[in-house]
Amino acid sequence: MEDQVKQVIADVLALDAKAIDEFTVKDSTASWDSLNHINLIVALEQEFQVSFDVSEIESMQSYSEILETLGRKLHG
Amino acid sequence: MTNSPNPASLRGAFVAALERGDQFTAAREAKALLTEDRGLRQISFICRELERLSHVKPSLKPLKVALLSSFSIDFVRQPLVVQSFLSGIDILVYLPGFGQYQQEIRDPASGLYAFSPDIVILAVEGSDYMPEIYRDYMDELANGFDATLLRFQEDYQNLIQTFRQHSTATLLINNFAPPIRRQLGILDGQRGKGQAQLVEQMNESLATLCQKNPRVYAVDYAGLVSRHGAMHWYDERMTHYAKAPIAMDMLPFLAGEYVKFFRALTGQTKKCLVVDLDNTLWGGVLGEDGIAGIQLGSVYPGSAYLEFQREIFNLHKRGIILAIASKNNASDVEQVFTSHRGMLLKRQHFACMQVHWGQKSESLREIARQLNIGVEHIVFVDDNPAEIQEVEQTLPMVTTIKLPKQPEQFVGTLLQDGLFDSLSFSAEDRRRGEMYRQRDEAEKLRERSGNLEEFYRSLEMEVTLAHVEKTSLIRCAQMTQKTNQFNITTIRFSESELVERMKSPDWLLVSTSVRDRFGDNGIVGLMMARFRSGALDIETFLLSCRVIGRGIETAMLAYLCEQAARRGAGTIQGRIVLTPKNFPVRDLFERHRFARLEETTTGETRWMLNLNNSPVLWPDWLRVTTDAVATPENLN
Repeated sequence: MEDQVKQVIADVLALDAKAIDEFTVKDSTASWDSLNHINLIVALEQEFQVSFDVSEIESMQSYSEILETLGRKLHG
Repeated sequence: MTNSPNPASLRGAFVAALERGDQFTAAREAKALLTEDRGLRQISFICRELERLSHVKPSLKPLKVALLSSFSIDFVRQPLVVQSFLSGIDILVYLPGFGQYQQEIRDPASGLYAFSPDIVILAVEGSDYMPEIYRDYMDELANGFDATLLRFQEDYQNLIQTFRQHSTATLLINNFAPPIRRQLGILDGQRGKGQAQLVEQMNESLATLCQKNPRVYAVDYAGLVSRHGAMHWYDERMTHYAKAPIAMDMLPFLAGEYVKFFRALTGQTKKCLVVDLDNTLWGGVLGEDGIAGIQLGSVYPGSAYLEFQREIFNLHKRGIILAIASKNNASDVEQVFTSHRGMLLKRQHFACMQVHWGQKSESLREIARQLNIGVEHIVFVDDNPAEIQEVEQTLPMVTTIKLPKQPEQFVGTLLQDGLFDSLSFSAEDRRRGEMYRQRDEAEKLRERSGNLEEFYRSLEMEVTLAHVEKTSLIRCAQMTQKTNQFNITTIRFSESELVERMKSPDWLLVSTSVRDRFGDNGIVGLMMARFRSGALDIETFLLSCRVIGRGIETAMLAYLCEQAARRGAGTIQGRIVLTPKNFPVRDLFERHRFARLEETTTGETRWMLNLNNSPVLWPDWLRVTTDAVATPENLN
């Protein structure tokens, strides 16, 4: 799952998948603006066939938080 | 949307094609990528590569597009860039931010006019523009809606006029989708001024405005939403969170609707539809299943093929030229047209028929030539991926449609991209089918009047068919070595090899000489055939390219039939070995009603003619002399 998440982030935010790690956070990533945040959320929803509610959308502000929220979603 | 790993090789092929400036291949690879995964990440990737490599897209049509909206429409930018690219259009997008459309249009110094767009899209949600009808309907009920509707019409007219004072661009205006929920519930449809009906009246007003104002067109947003279903179209979560009411996975469809206009406005409307026959206009393979076995009629799957024919007929009525490219026996196909009762499409609806065993790309070239249109105006439809691939490789500018397995999906597949859509429909369009029909009938009349045979006759040809002998030996061997086009097997022989054969009573070696009104052409043809177990087996059959297309081969085959009958053979057999050059000979046996026995994987075909049924008769357009006395002894 982690590689898949990295690949989605890489595609949407125009990053190198290999450079994505726990230090990848919204505030310090230039291409991760509010528009691309929505794009990223929807791309993750499409990729993993899930739907996030607004509080989850707002909580996913970094690669780590995405893994955490998505993990909860997928594995309960 | 898939969970499969990233198709890296497909992406690589796309980027490579883009880098070398191969627009057609890049577009095909992009389509393949989207077939794999049409999600947002794929669109993001394609869009970014297009923008990164924008300098290597010289052959695309540039188009400046401004997107004005009442909601956050930024998300449509990437799908719009990608879909435009698939249609050969390179767009530059201006996005002033949502809710700015009034200011952008009314301020002469706005960024919109500085951008000098070719096309301006005005995407306004009804709920944003007309709260009286969408949100506050219950409050407005008492007032009636006449004043509201009138104000709407005046405002939009005013907006269009203001825009036109500052810009000559084409203006595309979304019409309005009715609200998802009706405030009066099931009563909405019962009364004169239900919400749905009021929105319809807004749309009627808008359509009238579009008719009155040149280069202003209505985009049928209401139709788009209803096709996909309002419940799927809108994302209420994103409406509130990001003022982005349209669900992300619907945006490619919105983009696709706009691109239909881009295509029409940049002159890319397709003019001609070329269809395959087997498993396309009917189910099954005519050559195998026979006319009684093909599926076409009122029962599935025949009903789905009939439905497909009906939609193609509608295209014909819209002025789209129809043509056929099929690998079939022309006579079998004619029979379907004349006697299959399920055929909605008739022979006269097709302006051009290419029914033969040659390459489909050749057929398309010929169709384009006969109709005097460019191949880029052709849409080619086939169920066979190999045929699609052959055309794509040979004629990349042809738009191809590979039909899905299920015939009920044919209509949707053909029409989904609006390839034939146009923004006008003239009297000439309506008559076009008729005009081509008349032209076609005139041509058929010329054919029936024996024009070709008239031409043959006018040549006053005298053909001499003679056994190969010492004096003709050198020339005959030379012809086997040199002749490429009208040559069934292209086997090369030396003089001594021919001499060996001349000694054998089983071999028939016959040279063909032609004299015509312009002079003596000398020896121009050769046949070598062998009697074997009751059959005459043609191994070599060739004609110099100087004299092909004159019906001489008919006389040569008639001669072989006569010789075979004389020696008691019941059949004549032959084969055609395809080479890149022997195109002119490929239909030799078929034209003379030989039966096709088999085809090998290398494209070699075997043919047989039963002499008791249908021997080749002497043509009456030339005079024939044969030598009766040639024997192997002539050598000595």
